[in-house]
Amino acid sequence: MRWVWFHKLGSPKWFFFQSKSWVLPLLGLGSIGLIVGLVWGLAFAPADYQQGDTFRIIYIHVPAAMLAQSCYFALGAAGFVYLVWQMKMAPIFIKAIAPIGAVMALIALVTGAIWGKPTWGTWWIWDARLTSVLVLFFLYMGIIALQSAFDDVMLANKATAVVCVVGLINLPIIKYSVVWWNTLHQGATFSLAEKPAMSAEMWLPLLVSVVGFYLFIAGLVLWRMQSEILQREHRSSWVKKEVMDRGL
Amino acid sequence: MTYSSFLQSEFLILWRRKQDVLNALLFFILVVALFPIGVDPSPAFLAPAAGGIIWCAAVLSILMAIEGAFKEDYLDGSLEQLVTSGLSLPLLMLLKVLALWGCVVVPLLLIMPLLSEMLFLPSTVFWVLILTLLLGSPSLFFIGLIGSALTVSLRQGSMLMMLLILPFYFPVIIFATSAVHAAQAGLSYSGSLAMLLAMSLLSLVVSPVMTAIAVKASVN
Amino acid sequence: MAFDTFPAFLIMGKHGVYVWSAYGFSMLAIAVLTWNTFAHHRKVRNTLMKRYRMDQIR
Repeated sequence: MRWVWFHKLGSPKWFFFQSKSWVLPLLGLGSIGLIVGLVWGLAFAPADYQQGDTFRIIYIHVPAAMLAQSCYFALGAAGFVYLVWQMKMAPIFIKAIAPIGAVMALIALVTGAIWGKPTWGTWWIWDARLTSVLVLFFLYMGIIALQSAFDDVMLANKATAVVCVVGLINLPIIKYSVVWWNTLHQGATFSLAEKPAMSAEMWLPLLVSVVGFYLFIAGLVLWRMQSEILQREHRSSWVKKEVMDRGL
Repeated sequence: MTYSSFLQSEFLILWRRKQDVLNALLFFILVVALFPIGVDPSPAFLAPAAGGIIWCAAVLSILMAIEGAFKEDYLDGSLEQLVTSGLSLPLLMLLKVLALWGCVVVPLLLIMPLLSEMLFLPSTVFWVLILTLLLGSPSLFFIGLIGSALTVSLRQGSMLMMLLILPFYFPVIIFATSAVHAAQAGLSYSGSLAMLLAMSLLSLVVSPVMTAIAVKASVN
Repeated sequence: MAFDTFPAFLIMGKHGVYVWSAYGFSMLAIAVLTWNTFAHHRKVRNTLMKRYRMDQIR
């Protein structure tokens, strides 16, 4: 009986009504976390003794980069679930989360570049992390392009699921190869990973903003999934009732 | 239909379409020629860059060759027959990759001495380059075939296929060119070669299954 | 508060341009994403509503 929730996930109707009441609280809590974390990081956290105030970019750069990766893992897992169990919700989830992942990767890239200008002296550096986020961004764009290229929904579902799974298998290889390539090409430049240990005043706001980002994005994903469910299930009577009751 | 008759017919089709393979080779040489013309024709630039140039050109021309791998089978309905033939579809896909690989990579290797002369690649490094192509190119074919099967039902699928597949080629290019670079610097390059082999083996396991799923979905 | 005055907060020891542009871009991107999600949801509901009404008239 423990697996009942898992099987219920296959039902768009069940998911729609379960998730409906979650969207606004998630978005609300998320924005509170975001505002608190970012204001704390911008105004109250102490400046870094090496980088000064530029280091404050970390409070958006790190959450965005983390989300860009987490979204891809979720995408790959959903693709796997779809290929194995043909679960109806999986492609809906993939469709909802892919653009969000792409935006997160873009934010990580842009803030990384802006951060790079005062610290490294250039906008772009072929740093292992920036490069692997760039690859991630391209993977997202490929998935979005593939998804919108098909007229047939079933085929779009299958095709994107295949790419997501292949991407999930390849992502560690890509990451490893880029890190390895980077160490080969350039010596120890300043690396974001080798920061001196942060003090609590610095990482607490980071933690808050990371949690805020995650909650906010979870709310957005659920919201997008709801639109997608309504669109895909428009022939069923419960969708008709839901739409007509709500009014314009 | 049996596996051997399928392999035979694949070779026959590739032989009849030899102009396509020839075009891919010509494209390869042209891309290689872009670098001396566009960047710098002096040996001081070309010799260290040769491995990278050859690999980038090889990746592009292999993509061109794979891109249409399923197109005609899809249009004339023989792809559907493969799905309903009762034979194991992943195994058929594996045979297809092997046939395609043989027909594209062997000619590529044959013109390699000529190109390495044109790019002033030292002769000691030449064999390392050949080894990287032998070990690395199977994974290019395996991954590429997935993309080709996914986009076969689209009319304008080739650009999309390249957009999808090229990011997956990054690791292969990285390890292949670094093996060549290490050989040029007199360092050990066996680690990179082992990584290339590992990636080819991994894609050998994953790709036929994925290609089969994609083919089934496209045919429906 | 890590800054003594409000102008110091804006300038951030000469790095203000970088910090504020990074924050500005990110907030803009998230706002666009949220707006897009909202607009798409509303559009889906409206189109479905119109379609159901058409069906009823028939």
